[in-house]
Formats: sequence, C-alpha cells, structure tokens
Amino acid sequence: MARREQARAEAAFQRGDAGVDGLPTEEERRDEAELEKEKAREQLLRGRTWLGRELLTWLLWRSESTEPVVELDGAGITVVFAGRLTLRGIAGDVTELVARGALAPYSEQVRRSLDAGLLVHQARLRIEHAEKVYEATLDAEFLDVRAGKLPELLTEEEDDRLLERLDLSERVSEIVDALVGAFLEVRTSRAWRKKTVPALKTWMREGAKAG
Amino acid sequence: MPVLGGPVTFARFRSEPGKKLHAPARASTGSAGAGGSDTRRWLAKGLTSGAFEPLDPSKGDEERAAGFVELEDHEATSFASVIQGEYALFAFRIDTLKVPGGAVRAELDRWASAFEKEQGRPATKREKAQQKESVRHLLRQRAVPTSRVHDVSLNLKRGQVQIWAASRKAVDEIVAALEGALDLKLSPLTPSALAAQAGVAEGALGPTPELVGLELSKGEVRDGEA
Repeated sequence: MARREQARAEAAFQRGDAGVDGLPTEEERRDEAELEKEKAREQLLRGRTWLGRELLTWLLWRSESTEPVVELDGAGITVVFAGRLTLRGIAGDVTELVARGALAPYSEQVRRSLDAGLLVHQARLRIEHAEKVYEATLDAEFLDVRAGKLPELLTEEEDDRLLERLDLSERVSEIVDALVGAFLEVRTSRAWRKKTVPALKTWMREGAKAG
Repeated sequence: MPVLGGPVTFARFRSEPGKKLHAPARASTGSAGAGGSDTRRWLAKGLTSGAFEPLDPSKGDEERAAGFVELEDHEATSFASVIQGEYALFAFRIDTLKVPGGAVRAELDRWASAFEKEQGRPATKREKAQQKESVRHLLRQRAVPTSRVHDVSLNLKRGQVQIWAASRKAVDEIVAALEGALDLKLSPLTPSALAAQAGVAEGALGPTPELVGLELSKGEVRDGEA
C-alpha cells in the first residue's frame, strides 16, 4: 500500500469511519442506506408522484384482461405493457427495480415486487385506439410522452403530413388524459379502498403464488 | 427535428391566458379564433420579445444564450409563418459557449516555457494571470457554441402545449420563457393537476398505504409535496 493511502486508511480508522478491516463502519453504511431511503421518499412525495405510480400500477392490473380500459370519442382504449418496466418504492430495502423482457411487466417477479410495496414508476405502453396503434414510454411524475411511435401517416403532402403528425401526437396526449380520468374516477370513489385495492393485492399475490 | 420527424418525445401542458393578455389573443388560446390576424400579431410580438440573440464571442463574457427561433430555420426570428392549421409552431434555442480549461492550461504552459527561454526567468504570478485572461479571450473567439433546439407546438384552439424536449431542465426553462413572452399560464397535465382541475379535494388523494407499503402521516405528505 502506498504511504499516502496507508495514512488515509489510518486517519479513517482514527476517526471511527473505518474498522480494522478498512471497510466503512456500520454507522456509515446505515447513513448511506438512510440517505437513499430519504431520497426515495422525496421522489414519491414530490409533486404527488405517488398518484402517477398508483395510476401505472392500476393500469398494469387492468391491462392484463386486454379489455378496453376506457372509451374516448366512442372507441375503446386498450393498453398492453411492453418491455422495460421501472418499479420504485420506499417500504423495503429495494428502492428501485428495473424489469426487462417482453413479458416482464406481467411476470411473477414483478407482481411479487408490487406486493412488497414497489409501484410502477416508468413503463413502455402499446396503446390501441380506433384501429390505430401507438407506443410510448410514460413516467409517473410528469406523464411526459417519451420515445413515442405514431401510426403510419396517411397523407402525402408535406404540410398535411406535419399536421397529421401533430394531430396524432395530440391524440396520444388525449389518450393519456382519458386513462388518467378513468383512474381518478375509481381512485376518488369508495370502491377504491373497499374493492379495487383488495383486488389489486389479490392479483399481486396470485401472480407471486403461481411462480 | 422532432415535430417534423423521428420518435415523439414531449412534455404536456394546458395553457390558460394570463391576466394581462388582451381579448382577441385570449380567445385564441383555448377556444375559437385561432389563426386570425390578432393571434398572429400576439404571437409575433410575444415571440420576438423573447427571441434568440446569438452569442458574440468577441464581445462580453456571456457563455449562454437562449430564446425563440422559427421551427424550420433556427437562425430566423421573424415568426412570420408561425401558424399552421390550428397550431403555432416554433422552437427554443439554447446556445452555450465554453472555453475548455485544459486548452487554456496547455496554451498557458506553452507561453510560460517560451517566456522563460526568451527572458531568462520564469513569468511572475501577475504576468501569468494577465496572459491567462488573454489566452481565454483568444480561445473564446475561436470557440464554436454548441446549440440545442427544442420544438414547441401550441394548439391555439384547444390550448394544449407540447414542449418537444426530454430534459426536464430544458422544459422548465421553456415554460418560464413561454409564460413570460406570451403571457400564458401553463399547467402540467399530471394526475395531480388533472385531479385538481376536476375539482377533487387535495386531502382526498393521499398515498394508498396498502400499495405504498406503509402509512405516511398527512404532515409528511404535505411537506413532501412542495
């Protein structure tokens, strides 16, 4: 060990920051874990992010039936979670979990994690509405649309194509608003605590048992 | 350019007219009247007031310039054809100019060696500091600003605003610039904001303990929201 490194290790030991093995003391390790949990808690509460997380978790549960979640302008909106899913939480030792794989969102590992108090923070969705298919990644805090894919444009004139693209982008936004509306209707009703949450928990546990 | 092609990434807002906004423009940000001459004037005036002004490396020490530009020509700020259909389309350009510290140090080291050879003594601290300033100035004139452009689409009929940027920092800066230039109030379309718009009482939507995994006190939730 270089002389400077040795002096640094000795100083850390003298201060009580490191043990005889040179590793950080228990106190320091705990501090780090507490800081991380504090950060996770902040992320959950800032801007009421929990609502977005509960929305995406509820949507994951609703989407499994492949039935339309809600109607917009007379046509049903069907949602399928596809690919990468980020879960975040504050209850246990795990504050973030990323699940990858085409079937990952509906897997037993994900459901077990949801049952343990993690919620969906970011997800890739495939949305079908009025015979058009859209894809977008949504995050719980802002519900911004990221890396979205729009249905193929039908117009040929360049100016018309631009307007069609803008209309379709706005349609994605309206679909997200419709999904939020459907969630808020359930979330503000008495059925949320009495029926929906118990059903969600049962679904999480059933998935975990199936594994 | 994202509005014109490629993957779709945008932050979503609803716009409401600000307090000072005059009646015709007020009508065009949320209802009928989109595309009228009053709307064009309002947009051109507002966007021009917050228009992008390029950095001039030969003047001043500014390292950053930001402002509105036209959608398809990022050098243009006349905003003559900003309306297409029911949309106002423009962009926000952010230029940064930085002189790399390493380049200044290398140039200064070269100068210090040449100085010592020529004068037969090392340069004093003061001489070095003076030279450092002139090296920085010289390199600044040679530096090319890096430019980032984010598109903005404002639906004049429905009042929907889409800011085509992935970085939240950029989105926040553009929101502030838009609100100032066009006298609009932009509300994010988050579940919380949509609930407030629907008249749901704030207290009715606390975290669900069974899902979050623990019970949070009302005080903690209130403090954390801010």
